[in-house]
Amino acid sequence: MSMNDSTNLARRRLVAGGAAVIAGAGLGAAGRSALAQSAIDLPIANGHRNLVAFPEKRPLIVLTSRPPQLETPFEVFNDGLITPNDAFFVRYHNAKIPTSIDGDRHVIRIGGNACGKPFELTMAQLQSQFKPVEVVAVNQCSGNSRGLFTPRVTGGQLTNGAMGNARWVGVPLKDVLARAELKNTARQVTFNGLDEGVRGGGDFVKALDVHHALDGEVMLAYQMNGTDIPMLNGYPVKLVVPGYYGTYWVKHLSEIEVIDNVFNGFWMNPAYRVPDNDCACIEPGTAPASTRPIGRFTVRSFITSVPDGARLRAGQQVVVRGIAFDGGQGIREVAYSTDGGQTWREAKLGADMGRYSFREFTFAFTPERGSHDLRVRAWNRSGQSQPMEALWQPAGYMRNVVESVKVNAA
Amino acid sequence: MRTRTLFLACAAAATLCWGTLAAAGSKTIQLPPDTVQLKPSALPGYAKAQGNCVGCHSAEYMLYQPPSAARPYWDAMVKRMKAVFNAPIEDADMPEIVDYLVKTYGNEQPK
Repeated sequence: MSMNDSTNLARRRLVAGGAAVIAGAGLGAAGRSALAQSAIDLPIANGHRNLVAFPEKRPLIVLTSRPPQLETPFEVFNDGLITPNDAFFVRYHNAKIPTSIDGDRHVIRIGGNACGKPFELTMAQLQSQFKPVEVVAVNQCSGNSRGLFTPRVTGGQLTNGAMGNARWVGVPLKDVLARAELKNTARQVTFNGLDEGVRGGGDFVKALDVHHALDGEVMLAYQMNGTDIPMLNGYPVKLVVPGYYGTYWVKHLSEIEVIDNVFNGFWMNPAYRVPDNDCACIEPGTAPASTRPIGRFTVRSFITSVPDGARLRAGQQVVVRGIAFDGGQGIREVAYSTDGGQTWREAKLGADMGRYSFREFTFAFTPERGSHDLRVRAWNRSGQSQPMEALWQPAGYMRNVVESVKVNAA
Repeated sequence: MRTRTLFLACAAAATLCWGTLAAAGSKTIQLPPDTVQLKPSALPGYAKAQGNCVGCHSAEYMLYQPPSAARPYWDAMVKRMKAVFNAPIEDADMPEIVDYLVKTYGNEQPK
């Protein structure tokens, strides 16, 4: 994880001078935390945002304060492949959120009309009666990068920081449901948490098809990066759905229902749906003919060590690094271009932390004097990749265009 | 029997279990106040937005929409807030609220 010193210096200088202007950005981590950062200008129209430290969090980009929706400042992704809990993004849908939870007394109720044996599970039982499993997995908001859509779409105006990679420990949902004696009419499993609509409506409930819920990977997680899950990320237990967008990762999980039909609550329909075609995309300004619930992540890759607008020293080699991930096949290759996509070479991949994790890549770059357009493009193990031109859809989900980082060497 | 199960589970994954046992307990947080308020306006919908919208959510939901956000968007959102989230909005007040929103945060802002 160590960074070339000159790269590091350049990065700091550039963060201070580039699009992301932060008070105290030129200081080290200690200086940053001591200084109250107050605001940031994201590189989008109407992109001025406050930075506020919410409970158990460092100062994060406030998309909304009530309910909390917090975006991770992008430079965090260059600090390591695991996103620290205090920097991990937050996304609630309703403002009646729990602020005090006794983790020992929290109960998950399992039932539904296709559950033959309803029961309750305390946290102590969850942690003692099942064999724990561990996975490193990216959680990414469906609307991550929505603010970068062209033409713009309405909704939460995020840039690229509504994602994070964490080590989750918990119990496979399959093992819990094995005690529920599912009827052969079971079609979907729904998930509800302690957060509620302020006036009762619009409770955040999500559903997975029963075969997905039983795949052994969907997990009831009670640890995040070796400690309790932060309250704002779902303490004391959160659904982890590896490879799937964060909308399914229900926080403060309190209710699981096995049902004999397709759940059609607001947050499954009409919310969180994408055009039902291969690219999940349509022509800007048009409406999709039909939609389906959003599913797995598309393939993405980002340069993290050099911000857009960076100034580098001509003739001096820098090691450019970044991250790539996909919906669970695992990253097979990352290619890079330093000439705006005309020619490509293969970047070097870092250690494999599992097919749901961020994967590090690096490449050496010695810029000649002048401007350079750096791009990276990843492929997963089934050959899926990223489009060179951004796809569009009305809800602003699933952005995964090949990003461009323009630098100038002098 | 339950104790024995716990012991076996811990033996299978000692480090995980120790972290879990140490982590038992409760958690309480205090949320910070809103950082932005609705933009004051002489439009009649301003007071109604204060009465009907920000009781449930903070004003960034309006403030950070793209400046291109057009009247149909604001209209759909106000209707959704009532139909889905039970916002206490009188139907008769909706046009004024939408008018305030699109002229304050949307594509009908004064240039």
